[in-house]
Amino acid sequence: MRSGTALDLVQLASGVVLAGAVLALWRRDLRALTSVLVLQGAALATLAAVLAVEGGDVALGVVAGVVLLAKAIVIPSLLARVVRRDPGSRETAPLVNVPASLVGAAGLVVLSYLVAGRLTALFPDPLTRLAPLGLATVLIGFFVLTTRRKAVSQIVGLLLVDNGVALTAFLLTAGVPLLVELGASLDVLLVVVVLQVLATTMRARLGHVDLDQLRELHD
Amino acid sequence: MLVTAVLAVPLAAGALAGALPWRRAVGWAMVLANAAVLGLGIALAVEADHHRVAGGLDGALRADALSAFMVVVIGTISLLASIQSIRYLEAEIAGGEHGARHASLYSVLVEVFVACMLAAVLSANLGTLWVAVEATTIATTFLVGHRRNDKALEASWKYVLICSVGIALAFFGTVLVYFAALHVPGHATGASVLDWTSLMRASHRLDPGVVRLAMALLVLGYGTKVGLAPMHSWLPDAHSQAPAPVSALMSGVLLTVAFYALLRFKAVADAALGPGFTRGLLVIVGLASLLVAASLLLTQRDVKRMLAYHSIEHMGLIALGAAAGTTLAIAAVLLHILGHGLAKAVLFLASGEILLVEGTSEIEKIPALLTRRPLLGGIFGFGLIALLGLPPFSLFVSELNMIRGEVDVGLGWAAGLSLVAMAVIFAAVMAHGRHLLLGGRRITTPSATPRLVGIPLVGGLVACAAFGLSAWPLQPLLDAAARVVVR
Amino acid sequence: MTALLATLSAPGDPLAARIGISVLQVACVLVGGPLLLGLMAKIRARAEGRTGPPVTQGLFDLRKLVGKEAVRAEHTSAVTALAPLVLVASAAVAVALSPLLTTRPVLETSADVFVVVYLLLMGSVALALGGLDAGTAFGGLGSSRAMTIGAISEPALLVGILALAVQAKTSNLPGIVTATLAHPGWLASPQRILALVALVVVVIAETGRIPVDNPSTHLELTMVHEAMVLEDAGPDLALVSAGEAMRLGLLLALVANLFFPWGVDTSASGLGIVVALGALGAKTAAIAALIALVEVSTAKLRLFRVPELLAGGFVLAVVAVTTGLVTR
Repeated sequence: MRSGTALDLVQLASGVVLAGAVLALWRRDLRALTSVLVLQGAALATLAAVLAVEGGDVALGVVAGVVLLAKAIVIPSLLARVVRRDPGSRETAPLVNVPASLVGAAGLVVLSYLVAGRLTALFPDPLTRLAPLGLATVLIGFFVLTTRRKAVSQIVGLLLVDNGVALTAFLLTAGVPLLVELGASLDVLLVVVVLQVLATTMRARLGHVDLDQLRELHD
Repeated sequence: MLVTAVLAVPLAAGALAGALPWRRAVGWAMVLANAAVLGLGIALAVEADHHRVAGGLDGALRADALSAFMVVVIGTISLLASIQSIRYLEAEIAGGEHGARHASLYSVLVEVFVACMLAAVLSANLGTLWVAVEATTIATTFLVGHRRNDKALEASWKYVLICSVGIALAFFGTVLVYFAALHVPGHATGASVLDWTSLMRASHRLDPGVVRLAMALLVLGYGTKVGLAPMHSWLPDAHSQAPAPVSALMSGVLLTVAFYALLRFKAVADAALGPGFTRGLLVIVGLASLLVAASLLLTQRDVKRMLAYHSIEHMGLIALGAAAGTTLAIAAVLLHILGHGLAKAVLFLASGEILLVEGTSEIEKIPALLTRRPLLGGIFGFGLIALLGLPPFSLFVSELNMIRGEVDVGLGWAAGLSLVAMAVIFAAVMAHGRHLLLGGRRITTPSATPRLVGIPLVGGLVACAAFGLSAWPLQPLLDAAARVVVR
Repeated sequence: MTALLATLSAPGDPLAARIGISVLQVACVLVGGPLLLGLMAKIRARAEGRTGPPVTQGLFDLRKLVGKEAVRAEHTSAVTALAPLVLVASAAVAVALSPLLTTRPVLETSADVFVVVYLLLMGSVALALGGLDAGTAFGGLGSSRAMTIGAISEPALLVGILALAVQAKTSNLPGIVTATLAHPGWLASPQRILALVALVVVVIAETGRIPVDNPSTHLELTMVHEAMVLEDAGPDLALVSAGEAMRLGLLLALVANLFFPWGVDTSASGLGIVVALGALGAKTAAIAALIALVEVSTAKLRLFRVPELLAGGFVLAVVAVTTGLVTR
C-alpha cells in the first residue's frame, strides 16, 4: 500500500463492512437489512477498486465491477422484492434477544481479533492487519443465521458470512484468482436467486416465511 | 483430450435433453451418456495405472489415479440412477403430476449436476474445485424441491442455506491456504498458486499457524457438504425429499465428492503440519457423526430417512479411515466410497420403486415385502446386508481395512468406539429391515418387478459383491490413488 | 506536599492559572448546562409551533429552588441528603479534570478516561440510591430503570472513548485532544466514525433524552429520571437539577472536544481561553441543537427496547476499539 489516501479508503471500507454486520444484528426492521447489504456491497467494491488501482491489476478491476453489480445492486434488490411482499415485517422473536446478541457480537469481535493474530504475524502489513474485521463479520453472520427465524434474516446471515469471507480474501491476498472470484460471486448470486424463489413459493403456499413454523421434517 | 471429453459428454447430453421434448429415447440417451462417462473413467484409470497423468483444457483439468477413480465412481452411480430416472419420469408423467417439460428440466439438471461433480474431481486447481462443489449445490436445489410440496420446500431451503454457509467456510479455508502459499518464498504467483502440483511442491513450507486455521475451516466447510456432524442436519431432509434417482446420486456420490476435496487438502495440511492436527479434527467429526447416526436411526419411520442417516454413519467411518491416513487406510476409504455408492444407490433406487408401487415410504405401512414382491424385496434385503458391511460385499473388506489402518496408527480406541456405534446401527437397521421384509401377516399373490428396475439394481449389487470377493482389477488403482494423497 | 505541587504545576505555566482555568471550566459548565437544556427545549418548542420558555429558564428555576425551604420525606436517611451533594461534587471534579477549555487543566496527569467515566458513574449511583431511600414505589422504579440503562451505557461510554485512546496511544483525555489536533486526518478514520455514533447514543441515554426517556413527562409508565427525583424538593432538587445539567454539559463538551478539538487552548494564555470559550459554546450548542432536532422527529422507545439501543452503542464502541487496534 503506497499512498496514504488509498490505505485510508481501505480501512474505511473494512470498517463499514463490519459496522454493517452490527447494524444487521441491531435492526429488527427487515427493510433496513437490505440497505445494510447495499452499504456492504458498495464498501467491498470500493475496496477492490482501490486495490486494483494501487496494484495496476486489471483483473481485480473487473472483480470490483462484478462485486458492485452483484453484491450492491442485484442481490439487495432481489431481497427487497421478498421483503416488499411482507410489508412491515420485523424480526419479532429472535432466539437470542437483541441486547444479548449485540453483547455477544462484541465478544465475537474481540475473539476474531485474538484468533487472527496468526495471519498478521505471517505477513505484517497494513492490509493483513485488517483481517480480523473480515473474520468478525463472518462470525456475526453465523450468529444471525443461528438465532434469527425469518427467511430474509437467514439469507442476510448467509450474505454476511459471504461478505466477510470476501473482505478477508481482498485484504489477505488482494483477491483470489479471477476465475475463482467470478465463480464465487456468480455462485452467491445464484444461491440468492434460488432462496428468493423458495421464499416466494413458501409465501404462496403457506402464507408466511417464518421458519419456526416449518416443522414437518425434524426428529 | 480424454479428460475434456469426460466433461463434455454429460454437458452435451444435458443440452440434448433441454432441446428435445422428453420421451423414453431421451432417457436412454442420458443412460448412454453416463455409460460413456463410466467408459472414459475406466480409460483414465488405465492411463493412470501406467503413471500417465492426463490433462485437458490448457492444464485446468487433470486426472491422476485419485481423480480417475472418482470419475469411475461417479460414472457408475449416475449410470444406475439414469436408468431408474426413466422409470421415475414415466410414472410421474403417467400419474399426471407433472408434464414432459418438467421431465426435461429434471434431465438437464441431473446432467449438469453430474458434470459439476466431474469438474470437481477433475479440476487441477483447488480453487476451481471449490467453485465446482458449490455449483453442485445450486444444480441440486431444484432437484431436491422437484416434488414441489411443503416438505420438499422445507428440505430444499435447509439444504441450500446450510450447504451455502458450509461452502462459504470452505472458501475461507481455501483463501487462507492461498494466502499461506503466496508467502512461501520462491513459490509460484498468480492463478497457478492453488494448482495441485505446485501447491504440493510448496506444501511443506506453508506457515503452520495459518494452515491450522485453514484446515479447521475446510473440515467444517466441506464437512457440511459431506454430511459430517455437527453440520449434518440438512442431509436427512434433502435425501428423503428428493426424487429417488437424485437421492441415489446425492447420497451415493455427492457426499464423497466433497470428501474427495477434504482428502486433497488433508495431503497439503499433512505436509505442512504433520498428520496429527487433521487427524484430530477428522476423529472428532467422524465420531460425532457416528454418534448422531446411532442415536437417531432407531426412531426413523421412513425408509429414505433411515437410509439418509445411514449415509451419515458411512461418512463418519470414512472420516475415521482418512484420519488414520496410511496407504492401506486411504485405499480402504476409496473402496468404501465405491461400495457405499453402489449399495446406497441400489437401496435409494429400490426405495424409489417401493414408493412408486406402494404409494408410501413409511416403514410401518410396507410389511412383508419379500413375500409380496420377491425381486424388489430381495434387492432391498441384499442391499441392506451390503450396507451393514457383511461379507461378501466390498464394504466388509473396506471397513475391516479401515479399522486395521486405525489400529496401526494408534487410533484403536476410536476404532473401538466406531464398532460400538456400528453395532447399535446394525441392530436398528435390522429391526427396521425385518419388519419391512418379513413382518406382518398378509399373504397375497406375489407381483413382479419390471426388468428395467431389476436388472441394473441386481447388477449394482453383484458388482459390490465382486469387489468384495476379489480386489482385482481395482487394487492397483486404489493403491495408486491412495499414494496421490499419502506421502 | 512538594511532590504533589510538582505534579500539579508542569513547568511553564503557573499553578494558580491552571487552577483558575479549571474553576472557570466548572463555572462555565454549571451555567452552560442549564442553558443547553434550555436551548434544546426552545428548539423543540419552536419545531412544534410553540413559543416555549426562554433559554435561560433553567437558571431561573435553579435560583427559585435554592431559595425554597428544604423539605424531605419522613423516614429518609442521610443518603437523601448526601446523594445530591455527591452528584454535584463528582460532576464538578470530572469537569475540572477534563480538557474542555484547555489541554492543560489542573491535575492533567490524572485526567484519564477511566477516572472521568467512573466519576460520572459515581454520580449515577448516588442518584439511584437517593431515589431508593425514600422507599416509595416511584423512586424504586426510577432507580431500577436508570441502573438498567446505566449498566450498558457506562461501559459503552468507556469503550467508546477507549477507541480514541487506542488511536492516540494514550488514555489521558488531554493527551487524546492534543494528538487529534496534531492529526486532523484521523477524523475520517473508521474507528472515529464508529465511536462517534456509539458516544452519541450514550449521551442520549445518559442524559435522559428521547428516545430513551422523555424529560418532560410525568407519566409513570414511561418515565425514568423524573421518577427518581420525585421525592426531592427545594435546594435538594436544585442540586440534582444542577448536577444533571452539568453531566449533560460535560458529555456534550467531551464529545465536541474529542472529535472536533479545534479552538481548544493549548498554551493557557488569556486570549486562547476566550477563543476556547467561544468555540466550546458554539460546538456544544450545535450538537445540542442536532440532538433536539432528532428528538422532535423520533418517538420514544418502549422501555424494554432501550437496552437494545444501548447494546448497539456498546458493540459499535467495541468494533471501534478493534478497528483501532488493527489499523494502528
